[in-house]
Amino acid sequence: MTAEIGQAAIFLSVLSCLWAIAFLSVGLRTRNPHAIQSGRNAVIATFILISISTGALIYGFLTDDFSMRYVVEVSSAAQPLFYKITALWGRMSGSLLFWLWILTVVGAIVVWQSRQRNEEVHDTLADHALIPIVVVQLFFTVLVTGLIEGIYNPLARFPNGQVAADGQGMNPLLQTPLMAIHPPTLYVGWITLTVPFAFAVGALTSGRVGSDWILRTRRWTLFSWIILTLGIALGGNWAYKELGWGGYWAWDPVENASFMPWLLGTAYLHSVMIQEKRNMLKLWNILLITLAFQFTLLGTFITRSGIITSVHAFAQSDIGAYFLGFILTSTAGVIGLIIYRWKRLKSANRLESLLSRESAFVLNNWLLVGLTLIILWGTLWPVISEAINGEKSSVPESFFNKVVIIPGLLLLFLTGAGPIISWKKITANNFRRLFVFPLLIGLVGGALTWAFLALKGYTFPLYSVLCSFAAVFVCVAIFAEFYRGAKLRAKRQETSFLNGLSLLIQRNKRRYGGYIIHIGIVILYIGIMGSKGYFLLESEPLAIGQSMEVGRFELTMKDSFKQEYANYRRTGVVFDVKKDGKHIGTMEPALHLYHKTGQGEPETKESAIRHFGMNDLYIALGNVPPDIMTGGLANVQVYHNPLVGVVWLGIAVMVLGGIVAIAERSDRSREA
Amino acid sequence: MKKQNRFKIVAASVMLLGGMVFLVVAMTRSTSMRHFTPAALVADGSSADKQQVQVDGLIADGSSKWDAANFVLTFAIRDRESDAAVNVIYKDQLKPDNFTDGGSVFVEGEYDASQNLVVATKLMTKCASKYDGAESAVPADETSYNSSE
Repeated sequence: MTAEIGQAAIFLSVLSCLWAIAFLSVGLRTRNPHAIQSGRNAVIATFILISISTGALIYGFLTDDFSMRYVVEVSSAAQPLFYKITALWGRMSGSLLFWLWILTVVGAIVVWQSRQRNEEVHDTLADHALIPIVVVQLFFTVLVTGLIEGIYNPLARFPNGQVAADGQGMNPLLQTPLMAIHPPTLYVGWITLTVPFAFAVGALTSGRVGSDWILRTRRWTLFSWIILTLGIALGGNWAYKELGWGGYWAWDPVENASFMPWLLGTAYLHSVMIQEKRNMLKLWNILLITLAFQFTLLGTFITRSGIITSVHAFAQSDIGAYFLGFILTSTAGVIGLIIYRWKRLKSANRLESLLSRESAFVLNNWLLVGLTLIILWGTLWPVISEAINGEKSSVPESFFNKVVIIPGLLLLFLTGAGPIISWKKITANNFRRLFVFPLLIGLVGGALTWAFLALKGYTFPLYSVLCSFAAVFVCVAIFAEFYRGAKLRAKRQETSFLNGLSLLIQRNKRRYGGYIIHIGIVILYIGIMGSKGYFLLESEPLAIGQSMEVGRFELTMKDSFKQEYANYRRTGVVFDVKKDGKHIGTMEPALHLYHKTGQGEPETKESAIRHFGMNDLYIALGNVPPDIMTGGLANVQVYHNPLVGVVWLGIAVMVLGGIVAIAERSDRSREA
Repeated sequence: MKKQNRFKIVAASVMLLGGMVFLVVAMTRSTSMRHFTPAALVADGSSADKQQVQVDGLIADGSSKWDAANFVLTFAIRDRESDAAVNVIYKDQLKPDNFTDGGSVFVEGEYDASQNLVVATKLMTKCASKYDGAESAVPADETSYNSSE
């Protein structure tokens, strides 16, 4: 019965979405507060209805209702309780429902926030912004009704009252805590980006194209950015631990799909400051947030439509066509609105000099958007190449690594140069006071890296030297900003330096939170440089008793094991690990063979990872032959990943900076 | 705004854009790998001679030979729709667990047209049937293939 109630709720929410759109539009046009109120109530009603559907699906998982198709496809009786719940987003139709549910939560919060503001009922920006939010809700609601070919209703039962004996179980790769939280984190990051987009559309429809829409969604955007950062990092961390190829980022289309909105969101977070300060880039900001929002949908299109069929074949489904249709029509709608409001979007100011903070921001935007387009190009290359010469080609990971490095290093330099360069035009005084010292120390840093790597036998590692130079420059420039500001505060308030520092950050959380993020970026770059540039890999077939060497480590395979668990079997081997000839312990890489595999491969690699400071020793097992105890060979891959811990540290600092910045109240952000 | 400034800004933008486009085109040309079915590679082999290629097909029945002492795997990769096949040699790695006749296989490596041979640097296998209509929420290349790079 619950499944039927859930289904009914989905159909009812189609109506409540239509109701909200109609009443909000008419109410805003006729300035009828009752109609607007009714529209808002419909948004709340959608939230309640979709919550009921989502609850009904979870109930299906908890009660092992194997008459429900979705439950059979992602769950099984023996699946642990935790994974029965996370099965909600285990496959497509459930993911869509979950996505929709988050979007209805977002809609309800927007309604609640505008109530808190106590503004006059008519003509508020938020009411205008609710309409695009509801349009997106309607799109997802229609997708999960089951009326669209190729996507079934997640609450649908099998026809003719059939009941499966047991479920197929969830893809084993998803049955880890990291993978349980990674997709919802990304979803929340993507979906909350709908709010600034909706407010941009609301600004266009209401004609209030000033900075109001930006200020009111600043915290939404930052929240989205923080969560996306976290979500991408969780995905990388999961890939590192679970996939057994020793890395955390491979420019896979799915990874790219999550990264592109992040890049655009980052660009947007910067460009809005120019609008607030200098009243420029109004049009650009609207375009940028539209692009960022569309890329969250484009990611789904790329990975679900089957257009990328080379190596990364996701199964084809019709859903891609709907996404593409929605992306194109909604973008056309925004462009139409922009043309309609063209006169109001003209900038009040122009760039005055090539060397100014405005230019630094513009360059930052160009590079971030450029990187996005480059990544899109590489991701879509199989399609593009087929269109150009009729032959399907694809570009490997190395393509991305090579093309992002120069724009990436320029961006790194800008994280230090941007905050210290003066507005309007750089002055000799500004350069002398703020640039010379960090640049000099940066040169020293670059030289030291060069010397260090030369001693290790690397001949002129250009990118590492440039990266170190920029990293040191940025750190010195930014720490100097903190130092100067804190000293000034301390002097003015006649207090200690540390008090001055804490006052400084508290008084301007947005700015200094941003600087902390910049420091996090530097740390991240150093981690990427070390782990991508200087990892060691040894791959060998080994029998029990045999040894292999990687860098300063010697590994001896001394035993194997086999353990049975409720839903999988664990087999693996035991290594004795020596560092510089000294025994330091054992490591146990393993394979899990799942009994219920849903749509996935039954086997997952459980790599053994041991941290040495910021460096990792990483063992992945290719196989464990049945005759391992009698001389059979196991394929072993051992990585030494330098500075991989620094990657995670950098992300933690970025998230911390984001939290500091989001703590600032939106209405105070003008004084930054 | 002064005219000179405007010129500088436009010039810098054009240089930046030009640089990015050049970089992308050059890198695409140097790294792009053509994707073939065995039939297409056999038919159009000379154009792909000594180039990096990707081939996607099935392991031809009875074609695989595993030299366990030297870690050399040789087999033929057969077209899904015809009898066309390309030879593959894959060295210094263990044979993947689920490497069985008729199974789906994907290889990447240099093609030698005169011997109709791909010297594979990357080999992935996957169970053929399981993925029809699958819609997993995780990176496809890592879930659907057992990589043994």
